[in-house]
Amino acid sequence: MKNPYQPIKAVIEQIDEETPTIKTFHLKPEKPVEFKTGQFVELTVPGVGEAPFTPSSDPFIKDRMEITIMNVGRVTSILHNMKSGDIVGLRGPYGKGYPVDEFSGKEIVIVGGGVGLAPLRSLLLHLFNDLAKYKTVALYYGSRSPKDVVYKKLIPQWEKKKDFDLTTTVDTGGDGWKGNVGLVTTILKDFKVDKKQAKAIVCGPPIMMKFTTFKLIDEGFQPENLYLSMEKNMSCGLGKCGHCRLGKYYVCKDGPVFTFEQIKDLHDIWD
Amino acid sequence: MQYLYLSKQDLPRLLLAINNSHLLFVPQEKGDDYVYVPFSKITPEEIIYNKYRAVEPIKSFLTHSKEIVNEYFQGADLLLEEKPVAVFGVKNCDLSSLTLQDYVFKEGVEADPIYKQRRENLLIIASDCIDFKQTCFCLAVDNKPYPEKNFDINLSPINNGFVVEVGSKKGEDLVKNLSQYFSQASSGQIAGSKMKRENIIADLSRHLATVNIPKSAILQRIVQEGYESGVWKEQMLTCVECGACNFICPSCHCFLLADEQDKRQSRRIRIWDSCLYANYAKVAGGANPLNTRSKRLRNRFVKKFDFFPENLGQFGCTGCGRCIEACPGKIDIREVLKDLAKK
Repeated sequence: MKNPYQPIKAVIEQIDEETPTIKTFHLKPEKPVEFKTGQFVELTVPGVGEAPFTPSSDPFIKDRMEITIMNVGRVTSILHNMKSGDIVGLRGPYGKGYPVDEFSGKEIVIVGGGVGLAPLRSLLLHLFNDLAKYKTVALYYGSRSPKDVVYKKLIPQWEKKKDFDLTTTVDTGGDGWKGNVGLVTTILKDFKVDKKQAKAIVCGPPIMMKFTTFKLIDEGFQPENLYLSMEKNMSCGLGKCGHCRLGKYYVCKDGPVFTFEQIKDLHDIWD
Repeated sequence: MQYLYLSKQDLPRLLLAINNSHLLFVPQEKGDDYVYVPFSKITPEEIIYNKYRAVEPIKSFLTHSKEIVNEYFQGADLLLEEKPVAVFGVKNCDLSSLTLQDYVFKEGVEADPIYKQRRENLLIIASDCIDFKQTCFCLAVDNKPYPEKNFDINLSPINNGFVVEVGSKKGEDLVKNLSQYFSQASSGQIAGSKMKRENIIADLSRHLATVNIPKSAILQRIVQEGYESGVWKEQMLTCVECGACNFICPSCHCFLLADEQDKRQSRRIRIWDSCLYANYAKVAGGANPLNTRSKRLRNRFVKKFDFFPENLGQFGCTGCGRCIEACPGKIDIREVLKDLAKK
């Protein structure tokens, strides 16, 4: 019988340094991995442990996978010291991901904070494959400071992209930053979309998700059109180990993407 | 339902036959309790009928407290080479917990292959409770003190023997293959076993009337409405975060995946986990939604009396009372529920 705890091998082919604490790992799995944007995988550092990450690469590319990882814990600190050619393990994907089919013909507002742009990059790459399918697509991205901006090389390319709006901000300026300064919520205004119909997708640290959600609801976005990536201690990925319970849900199998409508009445969702 | 009769003298013979094809565990008395021992370690004269549930929950035969779930990159299939286990004297609190354990491990996104194999191989020789411990409260959580489902065969004691119910295909095969020990039960024998069941229900009801646990119909509501209540803080004061309530609970299923490494090979192990442990819900970024003991105690109750009724239509508590006995801080699940109902 298939063992769901068994990872497959993946070779690290390349490592990009995004910020002093964030790196993007380019992986070549031993066999193609199909995932839907917004689903997550469990990445194993052999002998050390595994941790959940949402791939940041194009879901239409199956023989490679990119994962952008912040150095915050036991597994990620060892990952950050690994080199090209090193072997890691992958299992998954798990969870439901973004319901991209429901985004067709809609105005799409995407809000990212910090390393939360990583899963959103995968969503953007999915949308970029056929931008004509969506009425409008806009990204609002906030980082702590100019040096904390991830995908520094990609962002100028995205800015030039037709039919795609990009607004960025940093909490604190400096380093010659000429753009907006202020929390991401300060750029969430003057929307040119029909806020009752538009889809909003938010990913970032819990505090950013909380205030972004309140701001968007305040602006008139609908709870059922607001998609949030919830972070819990996902371990098995199968709804068995119990750690990622959120009310009546398990984030690993019922999420990690939830509409605000689904979770707004649950306790302690931002903790 | 098919009713058969097994004589008292034939019970050891039946168990001996079962032990030929299975690793059979039987209860042995230890003080007021029963603990499981391998059948091979006792003599036929030492076989006893346990009056109530044993110390070990049935889950310990299905997931082990620590076991290897994979050796990295060693192929995707998993097949255990274990002799099928049989357990004698399983009571209904444990049988009900199998519905929960099955829901978690056999169903859902993917089945857990270790659990599934052990579960499919497990032979359950259940039996009626003919007495109860002071901590037993199955009736208060809609459970009976005698088996209703999830068994292969069940023994209901009557004078000089047992009325045997067959509860599964596996049970059917068993009574067919060992038909020499079984005869048709008479209507008098069946009536006798039913009367015994009514008696135990009456006795246990009388006992529970003195304990006064809130009615099962309001348990989910009092846990939901008591979310912000002070009960959690009052009750956790003596919690030492040992996890005994979780490990001894037949319904608790949480586990931790951890990695081990020696010179040659890395492997992933699965360990029973406890939601009372400080880092249970902590994420790598440092956030810990269950960062206090009272939140963790509350989490245990929400899981049992809200999450499971919501998702499975059954409490995550079968009323076995083991956690009451196991807790060194004397935290009593019945008292917590009573306190919640009061507020």
